[in-house]
Amino acid sequence: MFPKKFRTAIVLFFASLFLAVGVNACSTPSVKSVKVDTSAVALNLPGAPSPGTALEEIVKRGEIKIAVPDDFPPFGSIGADMNVRGYDIDVANQVAKAMGVKLDLIPVIGNYRIPFLQTNRVDLVISSLGKNKDREKIISFSIPYAPFYSGIYGSETLAAKSYADLQGKTVGVAQGSLEDLELAKNLTEGNVQNVTVKRFANNSLTASALVSGQVELIATGNVVANKLIKDNPDQRIKNQFVMKNSPCYVGLRKGDTKLQDKVNEILKTLRQDGELDKFAQKWFGEPLGDLPAA
Amino acid sequence: MGDEFTVWRIFVNLLVATKWTIILSIIAFVFGGIVGFLVMLMRISPLKPLRFLSWIYVEFFEGTPLLLQLFLAFFGISVVFGVNLSPLAAATLALTAFTSSFLADIWRGAVEALPKGQWEASSALGFGYFKKLRYIILPQAVKLSIAPTVGFLVQVIKGTSLASVIGFTEVTRAASQINNVTLQSLLVFAIAGAIYFLLCYPLSVWSQQVEQRLNQQA
Repeated sequence: MFPKKFRTAIVLFFASLFLAVGVNACSTPSVKSVKVDTSAVALNLPGAPSPGTALEEIVKRGEIKIAVPDDFPPFGSIGADMNVRGYDIDVANQVAKAMGVKLDLIPVIGNYRIPFLQTNRVDLVISSLGKNKDREKIISFSIPYAPFYSGIYGSETLAAKSYADLQGKTVGVAQGSLEDLELAKNLTEGNVQNVTVKRFANNSLTASALVSGQVELIATGNVVANKLIKDNPDQRIKNQFVMKNSPCYVGLRKGDTKLQDKVNEILKTLRQDGELDKFAQKWFGEPLGDLPAA
Repeated sequence: MGDEFTVWRIFVNLLVATKWTIILSIIAFVFGGIVGFLVMLMRISPLKPLRFLSWIYVEFFEGTPLLLQLFLAFFGISVVFGVNLSPLAAATLALTAFTSSFLADIWRGAVEALPKGQWEASSALGFGYFKKLRYIILPQAVKLSIAPTVGFLVQVIKGTSLASVIGFTEVTRAASQINNVTLQSLLVFAIAGAIYFLLCYPLSVWSQQVEQRLNQQA
């Protein structure tokens, strides 16, 4: 029908057209908007008639849509009845209750939390969301609501209070994990010598290495460690020191400042009333701890 | 209902999730079949513009992954057109586009595999274009296309697992949810695999029977 070269050219043309449309839609702030920053993307998406009215919308609708995890225990996972449950779900319930609206839980796969928020499919993301510079460019965050930190764990007889105390010890860590990077960085910066770092394929292998005595200490996240502590009471494992505090935040669309204030106020109250602490005990098996105020 | 994931509970939960795998597969078969048939007619049309349009359609949707199509239908349409499609609408759109482009190409191949003499002979009988298709060409093409069609539909059943990215809890998604709680990967995914097998195998058997029956008729 057509010469082969012509066909190839057409295919390439369409492929690049679609790519261009996609890239444009994702990266360029709306042409109409005067203030050119990436946050404009979030503001000009469908469903948000004018930025900042999310709170009014929710009250009018009488319902708040919150994205929660459904495959990340203990933050959110399914029970035997296939309903979601976990720390994030409890917090979402309290937020909806405090706002006096019905709760519509939307289980979302981790990678797609932010697109769901950006396309107005949810009002809030309560899904063990950490804060970083790239995310701060496209969405806003509340005050922290859940503890999430990396620490050095090991038998309480060891008493290692800082990186310097790791000298002469064997430390297990999951290869390439946040803790691996943090540990390597601090050992180099602090010039701590003579530490044997054993790297394992994943968190659960790292945990079993500690239990089986292959390593004396491990560097891991509090969630993994708490399960380990609970499952092996006779080992007397405890948190030696915190390596890096990276708590979870509620994610909001840029510009929804009224909603942000409201959520912050609710979270503050929940914290003061000891509700968050109760949830932390229930799901993480430890108190809320030194959750940063902002 | 207990709070423990017994083997039975895992099985029942996966079976419940099978509902979505079946619904999504049926949507893909029905809409993909209808649209695919129309696109196939365009592909074999004597009119050049129709052939060209349908060729673009087929090349584009055959040449991009289903995952990307689902993503474009769900998030892409939101961003570009400002319309939020429901997960079901987005899945219907993407699955239809994906399935129809492949079916159109499979069926076009079956039509073109027939000897030119069949067209010429039916012309000699004085049949018009659609009459030729209806009585001479398509009945023979159907026989040729059954095996590849069913082979592709089996792929579609398995492909519906990708719809989990836009929020469907079908078998694969349910299996990964349960696995994250129970950590019994082997058990959970073995059951999920068995469910897929039970969905796909009867389809293969059925296609063989139909093929045999048509061969006997001939």
